Amino acid sequence: MIRAAIVGCGKMADQHAVQIQKISGAKLVAVCDVEPLMAKQIAERFRVPAWFTDVDEMLASARPDVVHVTTPPQSHLEIGKRSFEAGASAYIEKPFTLNTADAEELIDVANRKGVKLTAGHNGQFTHAMNQMRRLASDGFLGGRVVHMESLYCYELGDPAYAKALLGDSDHWARKLPGSLLQNIISHGVARIAEFMTGENIVVSAQAFPSPFLQEIGQSDIIDELRLIIRDENATTAVFTFSSQISPTLHQFRLYGIKRSLVVDDDHQIVLRLNNKEYKSYMRFFVPPVTFAGQYVRNLARNVGRFVRNDFHLPNEAGLLTLISSFYKSVEDGAPLPIPYREILLTSRIMDAAFEQIRVDRQERPIQSLSLDPRAADPVPVEASRVTKGRPIT
Amino acid sequence: MLTSGSAESAFGLAAQADRSQMVAGSEDQILVTGANGFIGSWVVRNLLARGFTKIRCLTRAASGSANLDRIRAEFGASSLEVISGNLLSREACARVAEGMAVVYHLAAGVEKTFPGCFLNSAVTTRNLLDAVIAAGTVRRFVNISSLAVHSNAQLRRGAALDETCPIDTQLVERYDPYAYGKAKQDEIVREYGRLHGLPYVIVRPGITFGPGKARIPGRVGIDTFGVFLHLGLGNRMPLTYVENCAEAIVLAGLTPGIEGEELNVVDDDLPRSREFLRRYKRMVRRIWTIPVPYSLFYLFNFAWEKYSAWSGGQLPPVFNRRICKAYYKGQSFSNQKVKALLGWCPRVAMSEALDRFCAYAQERVVKA
Repeated sequence: MIRAAIVGCGKMADQHAVQIQKISGAKLVAVCDVEPLMAKQIAERFRVPAWFTDVDEMLASARPDVVHVTTPPQSHLEIGKRSFEAGASAYIEKPFTLNTADAEELIDVANRKGVKLTAGHNGQFTHAMNQMRRLASDGFLGGRVVHMESLYCYELGDPAYAKALLGDSDHWARKLPGSLLQNIISHGVARIAEFMTGENIVVSAQAFPSPFLQEIGQSDIIDELRLIIRDENATTAVFTFSSQISPTLHQFRLYGIKRSLVVDDDHQIVLRLNNKEYKSYMRFFVPPVTFAGQYVRNLARNVGRFVRNDFHLPNEAGLLTLISSFYKSVEDGAPLPIPYREILLTSRIMDAAFEQIRVDRQERPIQSLSLDPRAADPVPVEASRVTKGRPIT
Repeated sequence: MLTSGSAESAFGLAAQADRSQMVAGSEDQILVTGANGFIGSWVVRNLLARGFTKIRCLTRAASGSANLDRIRAEFGASSLEVISGNLLSREACARVAEGMAVVYHLAAGVEKTFPGCFLNSAVTTRNLLDAVIAAGTVRRFVNISSLAVHSNAQLRRGAALDETCPIDTQLVERYDPYAYGKAKQDEIVREYGRLHGLPYVIVRPGITFGPGKARIPGRVGIDTFGVFLHLGLGNRMPLTYVENCAEAIVLAGLTPGIEGEELNVVDDDLPRSREFLRRYKRMVRRIWTIPVPYSLFYLFNFAWEKYSAWSGGQLPPVFNRRICKAYYKGQSFSNQKVKALLGWCPRVAMSEALDRFCAYAQERVVKA
């Protein structure tokens, strides 16, 4: 029996509580929040036997096996360390920590105390991502990964909503080193980190506020980010984050040496790109049919899961898989669902991107993009900026 | 620019029997939270029309102050002090509560999640109340709740839902985060009344409607997949026109001797759902509607609820028997208590109010 506790009783805590209650052999024994009303309300709604306002008191009294840390990231390091000191493992929500140094410290303390941790990268465990992982590990790619494309979009909504969302400069997300980006992009970056084999990673970043944000007077916020990533084994990746692409896409493409895979996470579709030659005009007639067959098989798989009550929304399904796998690792010594190397690599890529953004904005503060189509190239692109990359080691 | 006297006459405000006995006079400081909102801005107008000269308006930074700017232009009001702040900040609460005689607390959390609604209704209210108690100057705290917190589980169809009906204790099972947040907010206000002697009044408006909100109320039906499912059919709609509602709220803050009272606010001559829809179709736009009998919709809710539980929440229980009963069973509504205690009477007749709403909605349709 895993005794679970949640620290931080906001919206994410609800999602965790729902999934924990679905896992047989797990029990939510305590919740904790510095705001007593928030701790009490979740305890009442989920019939949790104890609620606390002090983490140490909760750890001593409830003695959880796993602590789910769903507070803002500024407190992840401290709460994580206290949990480890008390002998509990920890599931720490994304963004994992403020920076890589904090992430390393957390992993170090967990190792010393003989407990485990995982990061809230549940986006890696949707049904489609799991299937892609199975195919990749079964050798479908025919060798090493050559390149990846991770597309992660976010809808800001109408101007009024975006203003309300972004207008609160006191919000914890605005105070992160990577500001709002740090709170959103880790799912998309973690997918890349999983398949990067090298340790010496070079990251090139292009970042800017979209014309939409500039129009509503929020030009200090960056909502468009493009990363080019490369390791010493010549594995490369492109990460795209956008608030402007429509529809709001979440896709991942894994290009192998012989074959490739495409994950459409929004529709839980996995496509296999086979390397098959067709004679003459047949290449225009046969592949559409085989692709149609793949779509039908995806439909059958999704419907089948739904009928078996095993589908759920992608993020919920991913959260359940990740929590279950982590509990199994804590309880039975099974491998961790996310190796620490991946957690650190995700953090390092993000750190490198945010550092480039910071330096670039110091060197050249964001200029106001003219939305007048008659205006000539409002922000000149410097060649050096395109090729500039910072190695992260 | 309107002077207070002419404004009062223009607004047709009911003359109070004896102003000297009111909880606050025109020179007293009044705080309105959520002042830029749909109801809040009409509360501010009403206070200005009554001659109040020291009105502090709290707005959220993100929500702007467009409504208040219009009021300023209309009244030329130097009487308005607009403060941008968040009630989740205790410092902000202390700043705005200082020296206030009457607090109209309209700020609310309208979110889809339970923790979101709770945080922005209950926690914010607790913060504000702590500041109010510390300030020690407040003679009346008017807490704006919602008619939705009542339970009609034990009422027959058509029976009157009024202040004597119990508060629903199963709002989580009802999957109604907004009502849950409001019910918890009310609990906190009552607790502060009991423990700290807070002189409060709880006001529970029905469906507030009027220019500024163009959507058809959910109690009428649901617009889905391009079809409008008409669920209200012959049910009375607990409507209150925004100006009328604002006046009841203002009076709840000024009328002496009603501490601890809880008042439901609905207008007179409540239309049936089909009357509302008929007028909407005639004046705003033609929409394709499918009438859905209550028993059929109840069955659908029952099936959805069961499937949700059986499937481990594969579909969230947004449709369930409790919420179906709460909003579509069909009750009658009473405004006897609010009329008796406040001397309030809806100034804008229902027919006129519906016309104004439809004219606004039509304007929006044309713009769209």
